[in-house]
Amino acid sequence: MKILFDRIDEPGLNTLEVYERRGGYESLRKALTMAPDEVLQQISDSSIRGRGGAGFRMGQKASFLPHGNMDKYLVCNADESEPGTFKDRELMQKSPHMLIEGILIASWAAEISRAFIYIRGEYDHQADILEAAIAEARDAGYIGEKILGSDHTISLVLHRGAGAYICGEETGLLDSLEGKRGNPRLKPPFPAIEGLYHGPTLINNVETLATVPHIIRMGGKEYAQIGTETSTGTKLVSVSGDVQRPGNYEIELGMPSREIIYGLAGGPFEGREIKFWFPGGSSSPVLTAADLDLPYDFDSMAKAGSMLGSGAIIVVDDSHTILEVMHKLVKFYAHESCGKCVPCREGTRWTLRMVQRIQAGEATPMDLDIMASVQEQIIGNCLCVLGDAMAMPVGSMVAKFRPELEAEIEAARERAEGAEMADVIPVGVADEHAGPYPVH
Amino acid sequence: MPRPQQNIIQLTIDGRECRAVEGTMLVDAARANDIEIPYFCYEPKLGNPVGACRMCLVEIEGIPKLQTSCSTPVKDGMVVHTQTERVHHAQNAIVEFLLVNHPLDCPVCDKGGECPLQDITFGWGLGRSRFIEPKRHFEKPLALSPLIAIDRERCILCYRCVRFSQEVAEDYQLIFTERAADTFVGTHNGHPYVAPFSGNIIELCPVGALTSRPYRFRARPWDIEGAGGICTLCPSQCNVEFTVRDEKVMRVRARDAPGAPAGGGPVGHPDVDDGWLCDKGRFAYQAIHVDERITQPLVRDGGSLRPVSWERALDAAAGLARHRGAVGALVGGQATNEEGFLLQRLMREALHSSDIDSGVGEAVAPELLRALAAPALQATVPDIEFAHTVLVIGCEPLDDAPIFDLRIRKGVRRRGVRLVVASARPSALDPNAGLIRRHEPGGEAAFLAGLDRALASADGADPDFTELAGYLREGGEDLVIIWGERCLDEPALRALLSIVDRLGLADREGAGLLEIPAGANGRGLREAGATPGMGPGFAAITSAGLGADPGAVGRPGPGRGARQIALAAANGDITALYLFQTDPLRDQPDRALWDRALSGAGLVVAHAAVLTEGLAEHANVIFPAESHAEKEGTVVHPDGRLQRLRTAIAHPGGVRSGWWVIAELAKHAGVDTGVLTSPMAFKQLVAAVPFYGDLTLEEIGGRGVRWQERSAASQFPTAGDAAAGVGSGPIPAPPPAPGSAVATGNGTLRLGTYRPIWAAPEVEISPALKFTVAHQQVELAPEDAHRLGIASGEAVEVSQNGTALKAIAHVRTGVQAGTAFLADGIAVESANAFTEPVIEVHKR
Repeated sequence: MKILFDRIDEPGLNTLEVYERRGGYESLRKALTMAPDEVLQQISDSSIRGRGGAGFRMGQKASFLPHGNMDKYLVCNADESEPGTFKDRELMQKSPHMLIEGILIASWAAEISRAFIYIRGEYDHQADILEAAIAEARDAGYIGEKILGSDHTISLVLHRGAGAYICGEETGLLDSLEGKRGNPRLKPPFPAIEGLYHGPTLINNVETLATVPHIIRMGGKEYAQIGTETSTGTKLVSVSGDVQRPGNYEIELGMPSREIIYGLAGGPFEGREIKFWFPGGSSSPVLTAADLDLPYDFDSMAKAGSMLGSGAIIVVDDSHTILEVMHKLVKFYAHESCGKCVPCREGTRWTLRMVQRIQAGEATPMDLDIMASVQEQIIGNCLCVLGDAMAMPVGSMVAKFRPELEAEIEAARERAEGAEMADVIPVGVADEHAGPYPVH
Repeated sequence: MPRPQQNIIQLTIDGRECRAVEGTMLVDAARANDIEIPYFCYEPKLGNPVGACRMCLVEIEGIPKLQTSCSTPVKDGMVVHTQTERVHHAQNAIVEFLLVNHPLDCPVCDKGGECPLQDITFGWGLGRSRFIEPKRHFEKPLALSPLIAIDRERCILCYRCVRFSQEVAEDYQLIFTERAADTFVGTHNGHPYVAPFSGNIIELCPVGALTSRPYRFRARPWDIEGAGGICTLCPSQCNVEFTVRDEKVMRVRARDAPGAPAGGGPVGHPDVDDGWLCDKGRFAYQAIHVDERITQPLVRDGGSLRPVSWERALDAAAGLARHRGAVGALVGGQATNEEGFLLQRLMREALHSSDIDSGVGEAVAPELLRALAAPALQATVPDIEFAHTVLVIGCEPLDDAPIFDLRIRKGVRRRGVRLVVASARPSALDPNAGLIRRHEPGGEAAFLAGLDRALASADGADPDFTELAGYLREGGEDLVIIWGERCLDEPALRALLSIVDRLGLADREGAGLLEIPAGANGRGLREAGATPGMGPGFAAITSAGLGADPGAVGRPGPGRGARQIALAAANGDITALYLFQTDPLRDQPDRALWDRALSGAGLVVAHAAVLTEGLAEHANVIFPAESHAEKEGTVVHPDGRLQRLRTAIAHPGGVRSGWWVIAELAKHAGVDTGVLTSPMAFKQLVAAVPFYGDLTLEEIGGRGVRWQERSAASQFPTAGDAAAGVGSGPIPAPPPAPGSAVATGNGTLRLGTYRPIWAAPEVEISPALKFTVAHQQVELAPEDAHRLGIASGEAVEVSQNGTALKAIAHVRTGVQAGTAFLADGIAVESANAFTEPVIEVHKR
């Protein structure tokens, strides 16, 4: 079933002409004939959950915004930075007007008159396309004062990020958009109450907003028929890694994972076996081949101890060592931590150093206990979820692949010893009470 | 703006029923109930919590994740646990993480022994580390500024210093650079962090990352003692704590409230300083222990000043008695109430002269001063923060009373105070102001009269003033007017009183006037009677009220003010001058006049700690003056708070107490003051000032007491208000400010002056502050600079009637075209060389 990706490859869909010929902006016209509350009701009825990672119901989030005449903002989070995720890119590149229409409808529903798209700096090409589309929409009267003869006045500004994963975190994004260092803010207050420039702010992912015109077109209750009861609709899934046909696929939520990985993405390469897979971007705890028959929806993934996240499936086959993947992952998060809160800043760097020490053959299996413990000390103690985003997958790797990791530690030590007799194990490492003696 | 109402609610912490003010942060509520929750980044003085350190995590029933107690406001019925396994686990984790990159060089760290990181590690850490990787390294220590050393390895990135720079001082210099574990605190382009309040970050730092360079390696916490005192270097009168080692002041910090938390920055005195100090107050203690300080009596002998014995100096000063009836006295702002009180007794009773002044320039009519000091009109420092609107007129708080500047910023930023800045010179507060009004230099009186007319809705009111009047009224009734003694002359003050009347500020809680006097203790000295025309307690001087010797000869009328004293000394009416901790060549306008006055006087007796120019050239006797760390006595804050100075260190060298010297001189002149100790002088003062009631030093205590809040305040003399012009019709427009009619051109500009924060002898002789010493610079409007072909940084000559000063040009946006500003009160090339309102500026 295709909704967002319906004839997505039609040439010229990024232009207003083609988009309108296909019925574009009809949902906006329809929405503007409805009262904002009715539009919001349709979105709530659809039960659509946020496609950015947290999976929070969009209708509920929008309903948190206070009513009345005040400076309220809508921010479209197009800082698609989660490793393995590339669905928004294709959507913005091929059908920018769908996103714009979604923003216009959502802003009407929440009575917002100022909207921003915060796009990651690396999406230069997509930003150019969006900018052209915004100009077209503005010229056509879809953006501006009292659009299409309605009471809705809306401005839309595209802002390019400067390259930080943390700016995809909603409050970090807001700080960055305000011109500050992109650091997450303390919550509460949540952005719906106090967000951009201290005003109530609705923040949604590209895919979520792009779905809004379809919800209005189909009707919220109709849309809710798609997918499962708690995970309605379709989802764009970015499949990458060791599969034969990586790419973006639109699926109905609840489709068995095996069908996505084997059916759509072609499964692993000849002679290879899936060792593990990330179901929702690099920050989701890993699942193994045993979990392949789980339905791909928010609740099933959560029940399996992982998450659907941004819908990015990364498949790793048996040609890779667990340590190799772990190193890549940890290095990324240690580099992208904003440095604001202690557990994330110090924990990610510490974990990286430990992984590097294992690779250098200077570790013992006991270091895995420390590594697991450090992850545990990060989880739940951070200001935002970046720390957890590293700690949860790393923790799951240590838990699920401990024998393999121990073997890798041994192998690395043998390699290192073969090279030179180094003082590889600092005194006291094997002792659990390394460092100052406990005073009892 | 009314203070927020405080509702008391009930909550349970660790099974104990606790009461707390609704909305306070959980960590504070817990502490108020004797439950300590550790933290690093939380500091309510810095504004909203950031929740960065994660040290204060606690368990709250009903919330699945641990919560930062620093950012969780308490609610009724909340159930909190701070001692569960989960909380301990999180606390251990945070301590372990914090120490991962901390160098643990405690043995060589200044903070060691008074370090929250040490204390919290000891109290809440596991006492071990599993971290064996290489630590993060930075070059260290580096000079963040001439005053502050930064050790980035010790930094735990708690955000305090950056928040101070960004949200309190608003100098916007400190930032975080890089990210993740490579994050470090720095400035844009590595520029030194030089700002008037920079030293506060040393105190805020919960580790040894930011240390005072003057204090570095001077002492360990167990070597030192703390001694509470008051900084009398400006009218803010901050409550300070002197760190004393071996009778030497080693550093100055904000004085902490009793029972303040160990983890936080100093709470300070919320009604005075809010726990902040300026860099002058923090570092000018060095002037106490430098060779330049005068520590023994000096007598001019054969043309030069020589150290002599106390007997010889007192004998020489006793010569004042020969000038009976022709002595003029100036009292500097650092004098205590007791010193001012005894000095006016010496003058009026023993030397039969009423020519004593603690102000600058022309004296203001006594009844006017009395009316302005009335308790009903008095605003307090916290009122600045809670007012609806604050009007700043005739002063630059940053220079004149720096801590007021921070308080105003706080009000604007956190409580939405509407700020009006009315000044001739662009103000540091301009970016915070809702309305800015620029008038001509010296145009305060015209400005206030214009505002008064607009408030009276008189005919012909200027629309500009009508807008201002509307702005002042529409925000709400609580209006605080902060005014500067230095700039407001008699007509201006009359207009001010009328404005206060029209706005109905009298007797309004949270509204009124707040003066920034020219001297630190300007208010106290006035109340003690060290002012012309009024005895202690603003009592009108009558010929019969002068003390024990009513028949004495040569007593002039009610007394002359500073400028009249100078004129009298220059023409021989006054033949001796008594200068108590003031050098008129620096502190008074019209340097040439004072030069003549000092030359004309047959005897000049002075108390001084630093040999400034006027004293070096003209004084015949100089008594070494005490520093504020040595004095014992009381001072009065601009809002009426009596505060105690206590002896923190012994007198260095041959320094003796100021009150003692005055009492001795009175004795030499035949009057026994009956004062054997400073508290005895205080007792006499209280007896002489009716509105102090039966105030005792015990009552003043360590936190001070506002006399307006005591019942004796009703004894404040009210007679004379009518004479001050309150309640009359609109103030007539005063003549235009001198110079405003002068056509500018050919390099002729109207002159305005200001007194930089650093313009103090103590700053000049403090080694650490030498880099701040103000050199004369002329502030020019960009248009004028362009017209004159002068660029910023160029050497220029500023002249007037044949008098010329060397200055550096500083082209400043915001300076009105046709005006120029020069610094006053500085050691060389000071603007008080000029008396006329216009100057010429030429390239040198």
